[in-house]
Amino acid sequence: MNPSIPPSTAEYGGDEVSAIVLDPGFSTVRAGFAGEDTPKSLIPSYYGKYTYEGEEKIIFGDDIYVTPRPGLSIHNPMGRDGIVEDWDMAEKVWEYSFTSRLTGSKPGNPLQNGLNDALPDGELPTEMEGIEAEEKPLADSPLLMTESGWNPSKAREKTIEIAMENWGSPAFYLGRNGVLAAFASGKASALVIDVGASNISVTPVHDGMILKRGVQHSPLGGDYISSQIRALFKANSPQPITITPHYLISSKTSVDAGQPPQAVYKTFAPEKAPHESYRALLEERTLSEFKECVVQVWPGPNRLTATGPNGIPNEEIARSSPGRPFEFPDGYNQVFGVERYRVVESLFDAKAHIPDSESPFPAPTPAQTLPELIKSALNGVDVDIRPHLLANVVVTGASSLLYGFTDRLNQELLQNFPSPRVRISAPGNTTERRFGSWVGASILASLGSFHQMWISKKEYEEHGPSIVDKRCK
Amino acid sequence: MSLNSGVSINDECVTSYKEFSLSRGKTKYMIFKLSDDKSEIVIDESGGEKDYEVFRNKLCDAKDSKGRPAPRYAVYDVEYELGGGEGKRNKIIFISWVPEESDRMLRMIYASTREGLKTALGPAASIHADEKGDIEWNTVLYEASGGKAGK
Ligand SMILES: Nc1ncnc2c1ncn2[C@@H]1O[C@H](COP(=O)(O)OP(=O)(O)O)[C@@H](O)[C@H]1O
Ligand SMILES: [Mg+2]
Repeated sequence: MNPSIPPSTAEYGGDEVSAIVLDPGFSTVRAGFAGEDTPKSLIPSYYGKYTYEGEEKIIFGDDIYVTPRPGLSIHNPMGRDGIVEDWDMAEKVWEYSFTSRLTGSKPGNPLQNGLNDALPDGELPTEMEGIEAEEKPLADSPLLMTESGWNPSKAREKTIEIAMENWGSPAFYLGRNGVLAAFASGKASALVIDVGASNISVTPVHDGMILKRGVQHSPLGGDYISSQIRALFKANSPQPITITPHYLISSKTSVDAGQPPQAVYKTFAPEKAPHESYRALLEERTLSEFKECVVQVWPGPNRLTATGPNGIPNEEIARSSPGRPFEFPDGYNQVFGVERYRVVESLFDAKAHIPDSESPFPAPTPAQTLPELIKSALNGVDVDIRPHLLANVVVTGASSLLYGFTDRLNQELLQNFPSPRVRISAPGNTTERRFGSWVGASILASLGSFHQMWISKKEYEEHGPSIVDKRCK
Repeated sequence: MSLNSGVSINDECVTSYKEFSLSRGKTKYMIFKLSDDKSEIVIDESGGEKDYEVFRNKLCDAKDSKGRPAPRYAVYDVEYELGGGEGKRNKIIFISWVPEESDRMLRMIYASTREGLKTALGPAASIHADEKGDIEWNTVLYEASGGKAGK
């Protein structure tokens, strides 16, 4: 950079500065500048913790995947219900999402940052008192954050408190995911179905407001699907499948489909091994890939276990479609047939759950399946607006990218709600599906007109954190 | 206030709408759009053609500066027979038109400004459309009459 050219206003605050949009999910945190098409920063919501020479170390972002350090354990500050459990760590993970790729870290206190090390012993710089403590990371940036439709008041107040007091943001707003996703599809009224990592949710939005009594959610998200895939692997024939992450493999040779893997494994002495949560995190990456490449939702009509009108069981039809191959990190590979449908069927049919006594996920109740969530959501809202919601079903969340998902959803809606007009709008563009609410928020926060929506620092100071409930309805 | 774009409603939208609602069918429709600088909603056009299809075609043919299908808002004066010799009624219906092929920024702005405009105007009924088939005359009639006519 040419030092003789003054920095642009964008870098040093002033009117040109872009707002930051922060969309914290259970699996990833999405952060970026308002007005951009995709979030520049996409980091895991997980963080790693280990001890080195008696000192506790914490790592964030993609670094958590890289090195299997002794004792490295993986944690998530977010609860499975999508509400923050550990506020200190949530703050740090979120902060990392924007300081690592967007704002950069601000110059710290010169007493600690090493810049003053050349001072002769005992001589303190003369104007220490005038030096500001560390500048706050968002001192120049308005911040628009997103949240689930069931985030409680306490959590919302805590969020604005962090933004204003710890990050020094000059302006803040908190938007509901469901509303943002509906808007991003061009709709002020919609039934928003979000299939995320730890949850599936159904949010009725009417005239730009969520209808709280109708909001439904259950734990049958992407992580539950992963647990079903694990259950399938255990019961697999010709042999059970173990996922061995790359860090435990030193070499492998290719083998024919269904043949035992030929790999040389790495072993760690107990005191050198990372915690089992590290292994689980890396296994999840393979499972995610499996979901993208193999898993398929039975498109309907009717359940996978049902028999079609011509007397042929649906499973039979599913079996006759060509299988999909998958290779594991240790070289084991196999073609997956009808079982690739079974691992997601329980999202629609609780009885299809594959039992696994070691799974942390209990068998779902019928009320937790997507068709039942939709029924409950609609029962929770005024009869008059139900047809409008059914005509505007918006699908978002990365797990909704499961192959065949929207076809099945459409069949379920048609069967359960024989209405003249049921229509699903699901962006074909995967970026919009994965980042639906981030994209919506990015556009809003970039509008000049949005300035009147922001809660300013001054207003926050006058009214305290409870202002968030009054302003961000 | 709930989450919205903050885009303002030009005063003329409201005053002209008042005249429109008192015009007893002389003006049949008004179409509104987002100003080029994206700061406010302004009147695009209005007309008195009695043929609903003329209006529907106009609305659905709206284009943005790059020639792509563009969103719009509209109000239409729907006249219907009450039946049983009770005579005719007029109701104004508000329409948001956001075609799926329109620019995503415009979709977002139109969706998040809809409530603001609707509240400012205060029409009797409203309907949303992203396909031309969503606003067939019978559907519009049904919505405007609160189910007393149409469909
Ligand atoms: N193409 C895909 N097909 C199926 N599942 C996917 C796909 N891509 C990501 N996933 C799954 O989606 C989940 C993440 O969804 P996301 O909406 O980002 O969740 P959150 O907002 O809770 O972080 C993960 O469980 C991941 O495995
Ligand atoms: Mg999410």
